[in-house]
Amino acid sequence: MTTTGFSRRGFLAGLGAVGAATALGGCVTSTGSQAAGGSASGPVTLQSNLSAPSAKAAMQALVDSFNKKGGTQASLNTVASETFRTQLPTYLTSANPPDVLTWYAGSVARSYAGKNLLLDVSEVWNGLAGYSDALKQLSTDSGKQIFIPASYYFWGMFYRKSNFAKWGVTAPTTWAEFLQVCETIKSKGVTPIGLGADNSTPWVASGWFDYLNVRINGANYHRELLAGKHSFADPQVHKVFDQWKTALPYFDPKGTALSFQDATTNLLQGRTGMMLIGTFLLDTTPKEDVDDIDFFRFPIVDPNMPLVEEAPTDGFYASAHTQRKPQTLEFLKYLTTVEAQEAYLKSSAGSSLPANSTAKDSGTPLITKGKEMLNKAADLTQFFNRDSSDALQPTADAALIKFIQHPEQIDSILTDWQSAAKKVWTS
Amino acid sequence: MTATLTAPAAAPPSPAGPRRKRRTLSPTLLAFVLVPLLVETLWVFWPALQGVYLSFTSWDGVSAATLVGFGNYAELFSDPTFGKAFLDTVLWLVLFGGLSAVGGLAMAMLLLKDRRGVGFYRAALFTPVVFSLVATALIWQAIYQPNGLVNTVLGAIGLDSWQHSWLSDANTALYAVIVPALWRQIGYIMVLYLAGLKGIDPTLYEAATVDGASKWQQFTKITLPQLSSVNSVVLSVIIIDSLRSFDVVWALTRGGPYHSSELLSTYMYSTAFQSLRLGYASALAVVIFVLAFGVILTYLVRAFRDADA
Repeated sequence: MTTTGFSRRGFLAGLGAVGAATALGGCVTSTGSQAAGGSASGPVTLQSNLSAPSAKAAMQALVDSFNKKGGTQASLNTVASETFRTQLPTYLTSANPPDVLTWYAGSVARSYAGKNLLLDVSEVWNGLAGYSDALKQLSTDSGKQIFIPASYYFWGMFYRKSNFAKWGVTAPTTWAEFLQVCETIKSKGVTPIGLGADNSTPWVASGWFDYLNVRINGANYHRELLAGKHSFADPQVHKVFDQWKTALPYFDPKGTALSFQDATTNLLQGRTGMMLIGTFLLDTTPKEDVDDIDFFRFPIVDPNMPLVEEAPTDGFYASAHTQRKPQTLEFLKYLTTVEAQEAYLKSSAGSSLPANSTAKDSGTPLITKGKEMLNKAADLTQFFNRDSSDALQPTADAALIKFIQHPEQIDSILTDWQSAAKKVWTS
Repeated sequence: MTATLTAPAAAPPSPAGPRRKRRTLSPTLLAFVLVPLLVETLWVFWPALQGVYLSFTSWDGVSAATLVGFGNYAELFSDPTFGKAFLDTVLWLVLFGGLSAVGGLAMAMLLLKDRRGVGFYRAALFTPVVFSLVATALIWQAIYQPNGLVNTVLGAIGLDSWQHSWLSDANTALYAVIVPALWRQIGYIMVLYLAGLKGIDPTLYEAATVDGASKWQQFTKITLPQLSSVNSVVLSVIIIDSLRSFDVVWALTRGGPYHSSELLSTYMYSTAFQSLRLGYASALAVVIFVLAFGVILTYLVRAFRDADA
């Protein structure tokens, strides 16, 4: 470049350009892509992470039926679940947030409530019929309600009735019977237990950990452990893995190489005998196979332990920064009604149970059986990440997948897990 | 947006005649330099500086950030996952970078001469660059499945004992992910080298042939020295791309199983968006930046010194 002196005019022109660009920058940032918000008069925005086609359609049906009533209107904004999870803090802290968000009950909701990001929805709970005390407890943080449950589902050992009949086995109730069933299925040349915890869905393995832990150490110990009050290197936790080891020989050797969708396919096609999974497996099951699907309760390990089941609860909460508080509360109130929950279940695969006990579920024998199982349970847990935090889930994934592949390294796995978990608890 | 970008920033034309005087910078030229610089500052430098600031804080993305000094950097040293990710990244740099440079140059040499159908091959090799890596990863995921193409082929040729869950075995996951990344990168590097090879004066080769130089001598004494300027571009591209490699790894393994294919980039992502430790993740981002910048800077300094000598 040639050396040139700055002329005054050139400099001023440059300044002008700078000014233009700054003004421009101002425009750009002010129209930055906000999460769906709006003015105080617009419709109530519902940010949903249910991006599966059937669930998305069901959500739309729900919003449409609310809009048909006239008065307050609502609009649905569906986001891919991975994006939703990473953006959630942004949604909640934004000055112009989505009013209502889909999420789940438990410690994650409570931690946001503790930071004053969630709207107090006690008003909606006032005189709410059809909701159990347990659900109210689950939705409460420091004396006020911050969550509106919409539906819940259950976990169990799912299998095909026709295959169990063919192999001559019946659903077991105790661990010893369970291993016996595995042995029989294995002798027929079939892999007894499918898993489906590959790199995309490693959390499936946490179901096994949760269940064995509540069966052996009870729900209170389980919750305290997940809250960081015990160490993962404790002998109690070790016992869980010793128990698990007795079933590992019956696990699908490809269990950590398949996603749970592929594992479900294997179960339906009779390549595996059973699988510990939530009722969402029905969402991807072909219609003609649904009637052949049944489940049994996770086997009893210690007969002195009260029976605890996993019942993850899904629902809604609202942002504390909402500019449409009355309309938002009205919409949430609608979401608790029998009409709304039945409309949702009708449009979805009907694999979950409505939170409002007076609403009708899909009424299939399987769902009815699951409902009874939960009603008889001494206590309900949510699921690993819902009882702890989404930050703790990756530590569990690493530890459990490693255990399934290398059970002999359990001691080092547990100490590593504890040091990784400690970072999450103290951060 | 583009309409406003061309906001008239030029001063009115000077009434003075074409007198001989100190040449001034034309306003248009200044605008061309300053406007992009400003946009860059707003969209790149400022967020980057914020990222550096965040690396000295502890922030969950929700509450206010609290300053922790060098706490995040101190933690890096005692974090086994960081150590693993660091080593994996170095391995990735060497394998992915080295193989794509060698492969790209080999392909370029092979497809340099205009023969029949050479355009088709060039296009075929370049096509993967156009595909989104996430889509690419989905295809490769199917290939690596326990009953996928790789294992089917191995079974067909009687190598059943080699069959493997490639992506879920800690010993093979990282190498399995490198293959699709290479598949894409080689085409890209090939195009860069093709451009460089086309720029070499053919008379040099004619002279060398007359002097009786072998093909190998021609390659080492003419081609490689003539490509030195392209090499610096390729090196920068490779290093930046290696350290940025994220989408293909995330789509195939998410850094799993148990961190065995964790790169610094995937570890940064999961720390930021799964563990919500944005301060610590920013520290990881700074480390990635320093690595990329350091390597490229040392190379450039050396290159300039060679040029001055």
